This record gives sequence, C-alpha cells and structure tokens, in this order.
Amino acid sequence: MTDNPEGRRGSDDRRQAPTDGPVAPNTPIRRPSDDLRVRAAIRNELATDRPIEPGELPALVNERTAENVIALDHVSLAFDEPILSDVSFTALAGETIVVAGESGTGKSTILKLLLRLLVPDKGTVFIDDEEITELNFPDALKVRQKMGMVFQGAALFDSMTVFENIAYPLREHTTLDEDEIEARVREKLSFVDLDPDRVMEQLPSDLSGGMRKRVGVARGMANNPKIMLYDEPTSGLDPLTTATITHLIIKLQRELAVTSVVVTHDIRSAFRMASKIAVLAEKRIVFFGTPEEMSASDDKYLRDFLGGF
Amino acid sequence: MAYIWLRGHRPECQPPASNAIASHQRPHLIERFNEGAKRRVHSLQEFFVLGGKAIGFAFSRPFYRADLIQQMDSIGVQSLPIVLLTGFFTGMVLALQSSVQLKTFGATMYIGRLVAASMIRELGPVLAGLMVAGRVGSGIAAQLGSMRVTEQIDALNTLGTDPIRKLVTPRVLAALIMVPALTVINDFAGIFGGSIISSAYVGIPTSLYWRTVFEQIAADGFIFRYIPTDFIQGLIKPFVFGAIISLVGCNFGLKTTGGTEGVGVATTRTVVTASILLLVVDYFITQILLAVFAS
Ligand SMILES: Nc1ncnc2c1ncn2[C@@H]1O[C@H](COP(=O)(O)OP(=O)(O)O)[C@@H](O)[C@H]1O
Ligand SMILES: [Mg+2]
Repeated sequence: MTDNPEGRRGSDDRRQAPTDGPVAPNTPIRRPSDDLRVRAAIRNELATDRPIEPGELPALVNERTAENVIALDHVSLAFDEPILSDVSFTALAGETIVVAGESGTGKSTILKLLLRLLVPDKGTVFIDDEEITELNFPDALKVRQKMGMVFQGAALFDSMTVFENIAYPLREHTTLDEDEIEARVREKLSFVDLDPDRVMEQLPSDLSGGMRKRVGVARGMANNPKIMLYDEPTSGLDPLTTATITHLIIKLQRELAVTSVVVTHDIRSAFRMASKIAVLAEKRIVFFGTPEEMSASDDKYLRDFLGGF
Repeated sequence: MAYIWLRGHRPECQPPASNAIASHQRPHLIERFNEGAKRRVHSLQEFFVLGGKAIGFAFSRPFYRADLIQQMDSIGVQSLPIVLLTGFFTGMVLALQSSVQLKTFGATMYIGRLVAASMIRELGPVLAGLMVAGRVGSGIAAQLGSMRVTEQIDALNTLGTDPIRKLVTPRVLAALIMVPALTVINDFAGIFGGSIISSAYVGIPTSLYWRTVFEQIAADGFIFRYIPTDFIQGLIKPFVFGAIISLVGCNFGLKTTGGTEGVGVATTRTVVTASILLLVVDYFITQILLAVFAS
C-alpha cells in the first residue's frame, strides 16, 4: 500500500489535491487505498445522480443472435407448501436478469434451482441449452463450474482465510499451480477493489459486511464463470457500500460480458443494472420485461411494488 | 420431496419422489399418521445413507487429509483432559466403593480385578463415549449447523465439493480412530486412580493391585493368542460409539433449519440422541459379545 509501483498516477493525484502539504523527498508517495478511491468515485456519481440512459449500462444484447444461456421452463416446486408454480424465464448471453419480489416468495430458491442445489418437482432448468434437472453429482459439478454464486450472507468459509476462500474453487476445479492460483486470487481481489496484501491473510470474521460481500464476489468469479448469480448482494449494507457493490456488478457484466441473475430488494440498483426485470409474486412471475417497460406499466401491483421502494 | 433433496442426503442421481403427500392438502388422520411414520422411516434411512456415503468416500479421491488431521486433533487430542479426569475419578470412586463391599467378604485384595474389569469392559467405553458425545457431538452439530444456516454448505456444493466428503467423512473417520484411543486412555486413568485409592485407603500394596489387574485381563483368555478378550469388548464398543456420535452430530447439523435458533436445537438433539443411542447400543453389544464369548 505504501510502495507505489505506478508512481505516476499517485503523484498526479497528489498534485491535484491542494490541501496536501509538501511531500518530503524520499518518502514513498502514499496514495489513497483503492477502496477509498472507488468510494470517492461513487460518491461523486451519487452526488450528480444523473439519470441512466436506457440501455446504457447492460451490454447491448442482440436478441436475435444471442443464445439462451439460462432457461427455466414451467418450473414448479413445493417444500412444505408450494413455493413456485409454473415459473418460466430465459436469459440471453450477456443479459442481466433482476429477480425482484417480497421476501419469502422464492427468489433464493430460483437461484438454487439454477445451481441444481434443488430439483424442481415439475418443469426443467436449462443452462447453456443443457437440461440440468436430472444430472448426477459429477455432471452437476461440471455445470456449476460455469456459474459463480454470491450468497446472501457471502457464505465465506469461516475457517479459511480470504486467500483460501478465493483459491477454493480453483483448487477444486482447476489444475493451476500455486503461483497461478495466487496470481488469480490477487487479480480477483483487485477487481473487487480490495487490497490483496491487506486482506489475503485475514479471516472472514475480521472483515466488514461490505468487504465480505466483495470477497464473496471475488470467490464467485474466481473460475471466470460465464454466469454470475447474486442473492441480495446489497441487502443489509449502507448506501455507499450498496453503490460499491452495484458498481461492481455492472463492471463485471460490462468488462467480462457475463450473463447474470441478480436477486434484489433494491429497485434502484435493479434499474441500474437490469436488462430485464422479473417480478415474483404469488408463486408466479407476474412481470417480465425491461426496466422501461416496467416503469411504463400501469399494472396496479407493479405500481405499488415500485412505490414501495 | 425437495426438502430432503436440499439437505443433501439423497443419492444425487435419483429423480425427486413425486408421490409424497403435500401437507397443505390437510390429509386425514390416518394418512397423517402414515405420513409421520413414513417420515421417521425416511429419516432413519437418510441416516444410514449418510453413514454409507461417509465411509464410502474414505476410499475414493479426492480425500481431504488436512481436514482429517484437524478433526483428529479436535475430537481426540482436545478431549484428552476431560477423558483423563473422568477416568481417574471414576477409578478412584470405584475402588472406594468396592473396598467397602469386598471388606465384608474379606476379599479386598481383589480390588484390582474389580476395577480393571469394570473399567475395561463397561465404564471406560461408556464414560469416554458420553464425554465425547457431549463435547464433540455437540461441537460437530453446532459447526455443521451454522455452516448450513449461513449457506456455507450450499457454497461448498456450488464450488465443486460434496459436503459429505469434505465435512462428514473426516469427522466420522476421526471419531472411529480417536474414540477407541480415548477409551484406552480412560481405562488406564481409571485403573491408575484405583491403584492410588487402594494403596492409600485400603492398604493394598501397589504391586499386588497391579498383579490382580493383569490377572483379570488374562482371566478371560486371549484371542489370536495375544489379544485379551476383554480388550476386544472394550474396543468394539468405542468404535461403534464413535460412529454413532459423529454421524448423529453430522446428521442433525446438516439438517439444521431455522437460523441460529435451529443450531441450538440441532446441538441439543445431538447430545440427547447420541447419549441415549449409545447406552442402548452398549446394552445390545454387551449381550451379543457375552453370547459370542461364552460359547
Ligand atoms: N429447504 C427448505 N425447506 C423448507 N422450506 C424452505 C426451504 N428453503 C426455503 N424454504 C421456504 O421457501 C420460501 C421461499 O424461500 P426463499 O427462496 O429463500 O425466499 P426469498 O429468497 O424470496 O426470501 C420461504 O417461505 C422458505 O421458508
Ligand atoms: Mg432469499
């Protein structure tokens, strides 16, 4: 953190900051941590709060040529009572589908169906045009490798360090050697704007909620999956951290063109990142369409739903 | 039912059972009774499937050796103090009580035999088992339970690991190895405690005490020429107890529902179930072994 390999950027920053005193010669130039820089950028963005132009954020998807990456086809599932009945939706390559709905409507259940942690009572789930409903464990593992999941509470392994957590999928799924694993872990940590040297050896219990979420994202994307699933990535976080995480999801979909499914309560960030929004109510998807279509709709439930946020 | 599926005990390749009665249909009393019985049988079946899988995974790759060693430490090494302590005091009290009884027959010189027989055959295994059930069984349930409710189990699955292979197999193996080891230590601690009491209060010379101990061990004969039959009894039991404790803990831990409160429930259930099961199974093993060795 104190050593600055790209001193140029650091000294530029310094020159622009009028309140800083003169820098003693030979002292290494300190630059604000990545964390702070990102936060400052987001604070700026929030301050201006310019309206999002339609289709600006999600990578533009050509509906005609893009293939179905995710498809739920007439899926029904009951635990003690029915949770989902006849739910269908698809996600094209590069799209971000936001699943919104009140708690307990089965949003997390949908993600678990996609991961084949649950199997539907009726209907089928397709990942990359492959039906995953009837797969055995080894084949299910292969499909899961295509997906990165960010769990609601991050679900970091609390007996392992941050490094071990992110290295976990690499050790399980790949034949990378130790150096390559470390390089990959550093890369992913930098991507989520955490300082590798500072957090790698920490335990999840040492981290703040927002940092844990970010480590969760880093672990989810460690394998370079083509699909990312997020379970309420911003719930329980302060507005600033919420913006950081939203920013991160958008960055992922833009820079790496991953297909994503985001479960969220936060309709504001939903509008910022969604290609399409699916609203879940009464065991069914009551709305599936673009954010613009959603705000244009005069369906009473949708209006109430939007008004509620 | 999907419920069972998520708990991760069903063979992965089986399609979901579609004939389960959904409880929201409010079935009639008899059906409900049937349903309850079915569920009980089912959970017993799940328990054995879990055990089978856990053992099966010990013989195939990948094998999580670091986890096994860590579990052997936390199940075995860290239980050492309580096992030493309980064994020691049990042996002392055993010597004290039997000295009173034996005195009336003028047979106090047999104290060593009595302490050795009770410790090795019965008290050693059962005491070590109960202590481990309390300390380790509850720990396993709490650990796996909190991993379940914080979705770490789902995360393992997602990241390419069978949670049974990674979590249950090392714990079961560690218990199978360590509970017998702890039992032997418990036996020794007890017999040693007995020797202190018999020389300090009863006035039996230590050498005589230990001679009677070895007489007792040799009394029932040997298996394969060198292994005293008493040891067989005393080691089959803790082996089975180890399996019971670890599997009950893992089973309740993995099935935890309902957040942090659920973890507490799983922990309590584990200790109660494992302890009762242990005592019941102890009775039946004893009966079987007595029949086998009598013939
Ligand atoms: N493993 C399970 N067993 C029984 N019921 C469950 C299980 N998982 C979820 N449920 C129930 O399914 C419903 C939907 O859960 P969930 O998908 O987590 O909702 P959401 O994420 O939308 O808040 C809830 O009522 C929950 O109690
Ligand atoms: Mg949820």
